[in-house]
Order: sequence, then C-alpha cells, then structure tokens
Amino acid sequence: MSTKKNTELEEFEPNIIGFLCNWCSYAGADLAGTSRIQYPPNVKIIKVMCSGRVNPMYIINAFQQGADGVLVSGCHPGDCHYTSGNYLARRRIATMKKLLEFLGIEPDRVRMTWVSAAEGRKYADVVRELTDDIKKLGPMTKFRREKEW
Amino acid sequence: MEQLTLPKEKLPELLGEIGSKFELVGPIEENGFLAFRKINDPKEINLDILLSRVPPKSLIFQQTETLFTYAKGKDSKVQTPKIEETKRVIFGIRSCDARGFDIIDPVFMGKKEGDYTDPFYTKRRNRSILIGLSCNEPDANCFCTSFDDSPANTKHVDILFTDIGDKYYVEVVTEKGEDLIKKVSKIFSKATEKEGNIRKETEKAAIDAISRKMNTEGVVEKLDKMFEHEFWVETARSCIGCGICTYLCPCCHCFDIQDESTLKLGGRVRVWDSCMYEEYTHHASGHNPRPSRMNRVRNRVYHKFNYFPKNDGIFGCTGCGRCIDYCPVNIDIIEVIDKVKEVNV
Amino acid sequence: MVENKELIRVVEETVSRDDVKYVVGYKRGTYGFQIKPAFAYSAKDAKEFFYSPLCAKNLATYPLLEEKLPLRRGEEAEHKKIGIVVKGCDSRAIIQIIQENGLEREDVVLIGIPCKGVIDPKKIAKRFPKQSKFVDVEENNNDEYILEIGGTSHKIPKDELLSDVCKSCEYPNPPLYDILIGEAEEEFQPEHFNRVDELEEKTIEERWEYWEKHFQNCIRCYACREACPLCYCKTCMADLLEPQWVRRSVNLSENTAWNVMRAFHLAGRCISCGECERACPVNIPLMELNKFVEKEVKEMFDYTAGLDTEEKPFLGSFRPDDPEDFIS
Repeated sequence: MSTKKNTELEEFEPNIIGFLCNWCSYAGADLAGTSRIQYPPNVKIIKVMCSGRVNPMYIINAFQQGADGVLVSGCHPGDCHYTSGNYLARRRIATMKKLLEFLGIEPDRVRMTWVSAAEGRKYADVVRELTDDIKKLGPMTKFRREKEW
Repeated sequence: MEQLTLPKEKLPELLGEIGSKFELVGPIEENGFLAFRKINDPKEINLDILLSRVPPKSLIFQQTETLFTYAKGKDSKVQTPKIEETKRVIFGIRSCDARGFDIIDPVFMGKKEGDYTDPFYTKRRNRSILIGLSCNEPDANCFCTSFDDSPANTKHVDILFTDIGDKYYVEVVTEKGEDLIKKVSKIFSKATEKEGNIRKETEKAAIDAISRKMNTEGVVEKLDKMFEHEFWVETARSCIGCGICTYLCPCCHCFDIQDESTLKLGGRVRVWDSCMYEEYTHHASGHNPRPSRMNRVRNRVYHKFNYFPKNDGIFGCTGCGRCIDYCPVNIDIIEVIDKVKEVNV
Repeated sequence: MVENKELIRVVEETVSRDDVKYVVGYKRGTYGFQIKPAFAYSAKDAKEFFYSPLCAKNLATYPLLEEKLPLRRGEEAEHKKIGIVVKGCDSRAIIQIIQENGLEREDVVLIGIPCKGVIDPKKIAKRFPKQSKFVDVEENNNDEYILEIGGTSHKIPKDELLSDVCKSCEYPNPPLYDILIGEAEEEFQPEHFNRVDELEEKTIEERWEYWEKHFQNCIRCYACREACPLCYCKTCMADLLEPQWVRRSVNLSENTAWNVMRAFHLAGRCISCGECERACPVNIPLMELNKFVEKEVKEMFDYTAGLDTEEKPFLGSFRPDDPEDFIS
C-alpha cells in the first residue's frame, strides 16, 4: 500500500450507527461518559428499547444512508429486560451478517455486542475496536444512495 | 424515401462513426439476455437475439425519473433536472418496440395542440433517432402481423436496416434519418432494384414465419358486453399478481409519483407502476375499487383491447410477445382474446 | 412415474367431495414447454390435468391468493377446502405455511406426487428455441428425457435439463399429503448446490461485483415475491410507505435493499422450490441467496424449514445455546 493511501485512510473518520438497548447498553454508554473514559466519537447512538427491536433492515438502511458500520448492542444473555429479546436479535444479526458476507459486504462492518449497564469500560473498548476496524475497511459505498436525499 | 445498401462488414465502422458524433445506444447481451445500453465499442452490439428483455421504452419513459429536487430551510429551493437535448441514436430497435412509442406518444405528448405535454418524455423522444432492424427470424410468440404491422415496417422508425444476406438494405424514412445519413461518411451505396426485391422477399419470408395470430376482429364490441362476466374470474385465477407483463410491455405506461426525502433534502420521482399490483388502485381511505385479481387482469385486457381503441383508435398491444414469453403462469394474451370471442353473452 | 390416468382419477374423486371447492393442478400450456395452473371445479374439469417433468410451478401459492372479499349482507364466508397437487417442495411449502398459521391443515387437501425432479424451463427453452406449439416431455428409466419435435424424437440426458435446485433436493417425496399418487421415490443422495460453493470461493470484492451486476438489472416487478409460496404477507414491507423501508426509485441501492430483504425474510422459511428464480425476468440467481441462507441456518442453528407443522418458526424462536462466536 502506498503512503498516500495510508494518509487517506488515517483521515477517514467512519460514520457508525449504534443501536443500543435502553436497559443495558445505553446505560453502559452513559456510564462510559460519566466515568470520563476516552473513546472515539464516531458512533452515533440510536436508543432502542431492546436489541430485539432492531429490525435487520435497519442495518441495510443505515448503509444506504451513508453509514460505514453498524453496532448493535444489548443486554447479556439471560439479562434481557424483556426476557428473550436479545436471544432473538442474536439469531437475526447472525443470519444477516452471513448474508451480507455472501453478498460481498465485509461482515466486520456489522458488530454485535453484549454491554451491561455496569460495563462502561467495555463499551469504550468496543467502540474503539470497531472504529479501528472500520477505518481499516474504509468507507462503505457499495450500495450507498447516490442521491443526496 | 432513400434506399441504400451497406455491406455487413462496414457496420462497425458506421456505428463507430455515429458513436463519435452522437450518443449511441444499442442492444448488448448481458447476463444471458439482451438490454439496450450505451455503446462504447460497436463490437459489443448483439443483433442475433430478437428482442431486448426490457423494451426500449425504458430509454425514453425511464423507470425512475426525478421530476424535481428540493431543499428545506433557509436555502430552500426547487430544482428541475436538466435533460440532455443533443441527438441520441437508438440502433437495432425492432418494429414492435418502435411502434410502442407511437402508441404511448399521445399519452405523454398530447393528441392535439394545447394538450399537456410531459417535458421529460417529449424531450427524450425528440432527441432520439430510431434506427430499426427488421426481424428475419421471428420468435415463437411474435404476432405483430395481427396488428397490420410487419417485422420490417418502416412506419415507426427514422431509418430501417434489413439484413439481406451480405448487406444491409437501408431505408431512410424521415428527415431526422436523412440528417443523420448526411452526417456520416459515404459508405452507403445506392440500392439496386434487385436488392429491393430481395428485401421484399425477406420481409415476406419473415411474415410467413410468424405462426401465432391474434384475431382482433370485433373484440372491442365483444368486450363492451362482457365486463361482468364470470370469464374474468376464471382467467385471473392463475394470475399471481406480479408486474412482469406490464413492466416488459412496450405500450404500458402507468406510473406512480413519490416524494423521497431526508430531513433537509428531497425529490419527487416518477416510477413505473403496474395495474397488476393490488396497491395500484388502493385509496388512502383503505378502499380498493379493484379488490381482486379478477378486476386487475380484466383491467389490463380492457385497457389494451377496449379503452385504447376507443380513445386513440389503436390497440394497446404491438404483438411483441413478451408478456407471453415471461408470464410465470402462462397467461397467454392470444389465448385470452381467443376465449373472449368464444364467450356467450 | 406418475400415471396421468391415476392423477385424473384422484382429482376427480377429490373434487367430487362435498367439502372441496376446487383442485389446483397442472395442464398443458399454450406454447413450447410451458405448463399452466389448472383449476378443477367438477369432475369433468379434471380431464385436462396432467403431470410431466415440465410441471415445475409451485402451486402452494394459490390457496393464499384467494381473496377474502367483503361479504354482502346475509352472505356467509365459505369454508371449503382447496385441493392442491404437490411435489416434495410444494408440500414443504404448505407445511411451512401451516406452521406459521397462514393456513389450517383442514383448509387443504394435498394430492402428493413423488417427484423425480423437474426441468428448468430456461434450460430447455434455450436448447429448443422457438417452439410455438406445446411439447410434452417424458422421463424414461435411464435418466433421460424424451421429447418429440416435428416428428423427430430427442433423447437428452436428465442432468442437462434438470433444475439446479432439484439436483440438491433432499425431499423428493411430499412429507405431508392426503393421497399419494404412485409409489414414493427412493431416497437419493442430493448433490451440493454447486453455485453457492463457487461463489463462496470467490473473494469478497468479486462477490459484490457479481451481485452488483445482477441487482443493477432488477426491475422490481416483484415476480420473485409473488411467485413465492412463502411471500404471503398481506402487505409486504416493500409496499409500505410509512415507514418506507425500500424506496420506489429503481437503482442499485434500493434494489440491493429489496433483494437483501427478500432473502432475509425467507431465512429458515425457504423450501428451495426455485420458483423465484424461475419467475425472475432478468435472470437474477435468487436461489443462490436462498440456498446460502438455508445452508447457514442449518449449520449454525440446525434448523430446516418445512418439515414439521408443529416446529417453531426460525426467526421467532431461539435456543439459549445458539452460536455467538461473532459477538464480542
């Protein structure tokens, strides 16, 4: 890889959409903030009531509208506020990731994690790792909308 | 009408020259079927396959048309996209598809002075120069002759090419066509009478090779009498309600208008729509005046074989056979019309 | 081998039952190698029914296409069964629909046909183009198809015309039926669906190039959806305007969204009849998507669609020990 490309990649700040569940992961992100943990600002959070509420089409729509990566985060298995929402989400995201990979879209662009309300540190780590990964992958333009609207 | 000939091996040269002066569109094979695409290299053109899968109406009446875009807020503005007005040559269009344009012209360009004309369709139609290509070997489901058309009809194109063995017989029909011929170098020769006869024989052989026929005599009147007939329920029973027959039809021209927007920017688009969809007639109130497949299939047949002749004096069908070829459940328009004639009312 | 006489007899018998509204089967089409869905309302309609290797169409969509129109005052809804001629995959489609409560078992009478695989209409039309008369095809015991065109008889190895999905079919016999015609086929070792393997060997960039080329051609006629026996939602997500999941504009972005959505919504539901791919007018290899998802669902979750009417739907259920190695 040429040096020019390297600098280009360094300048690229990925746009990541994070779907965080209201009960664990959002609180975890909150804790990361109140604990003043430093982490990249690339993830734009959308709060959902449960990771099971994340329709896999959200991921597709995010990519269409200019996201370079998507994070889906929920409560640890067994801890779901709605008993089993995260289990359902796990199946869906697993299948969607496989499908995207088969279509030729890097599966690493979609990340799923379990972050509890006490894991502010883990949330920061996840975001840091994800941002790094997506910086390496570069912008996701494969099926981004060509129109600005 | 000027009659010329062109040796076959000179065709790439001619197309290359046209391509250097105009935008050139022609049929190329892609993923196992024919599609009209912008031609960069004349060698890509495929003239062996008869019909393109999606008819060339998509070049003029585009599947997605942005009517205007807008921005909200302080810098709000409405912008209309510019349409290219320089001439564009569409090469290799078949009689039936070219005739399709003549059928939908009144819809978008108006029938008389003062009628509304759609700027998008009209501009694209006016900038297009159609170079037709006669069909020497019609397909199994071709039936253009049922509409007084011929596989080598000069009526609907600007220039018509007919394959007469080692040469193309070239007929320059319109002024647009003459202008084009004048602009390209003199690789054409004057056609002899003998060559003219070969062309006529070729056309006759092609007409004879068309085995399917639709008898449209009296259909308009018959349809008037059988709107409520049980026949339509039976005909539509096998319809699955996909949009193949309408999307691939060179005469179907229905569209939907949608606003698509993000928070600050938006656009109004016109996209193809199909009367075979339940949603097509669905009112905002929730009522649907065409609630079942029977209503929708009936509407398609009536539009083509009753409303069209009554309004425009022409059937809304060119006999290209695409709806027969690609219908997943073999609803065959020729058979439907045949059966319409047998129905007792 | 399915005897047409036997089929007609069974259809006659079924349609004569008081509780059966009509029977759906196959009849000869109007040209070439086309077959048509046939509907019998009385015993005399059954005469045109037939079965041959050309009968690829999955008829399981028909009971779901029945419109439930508003009733006039005093009218009562009719509760009658619909008879369907089903092959292995069609029967699985019905099982899957019953599992999802789209139909009741009592709504249908299944006339099962042990299937030896069906001909790919695109392959045979390419081999014998420009047939304006109907041509029937028979299968002999030597794995050959026999057909007669213009007085000349042709023998073609089965492998050359057989649908790709049939080569990898694991359930040629209908798992669910009321009447079976003839004897069940012997179980045979299905091949792997090669086209998926070939794609998987490519690099990620090559794969996208492949799909981009196909999705660009999509005209969004929704024939894949309408032909699919399992796409029976009253309102498809693609038709919704509020929220609008897929815009109506036809371009690569929206086409990809539509195709991903279709494939995803068939995860753990697709029974590999190949109807979507047959219906597609622009040759998008949709079965490659479906077969891939089917394979992954089987590998990751040990789930197979359309075998048990009591099974829980794939995406509506879970096991606590589902694989989660992709989760960090």
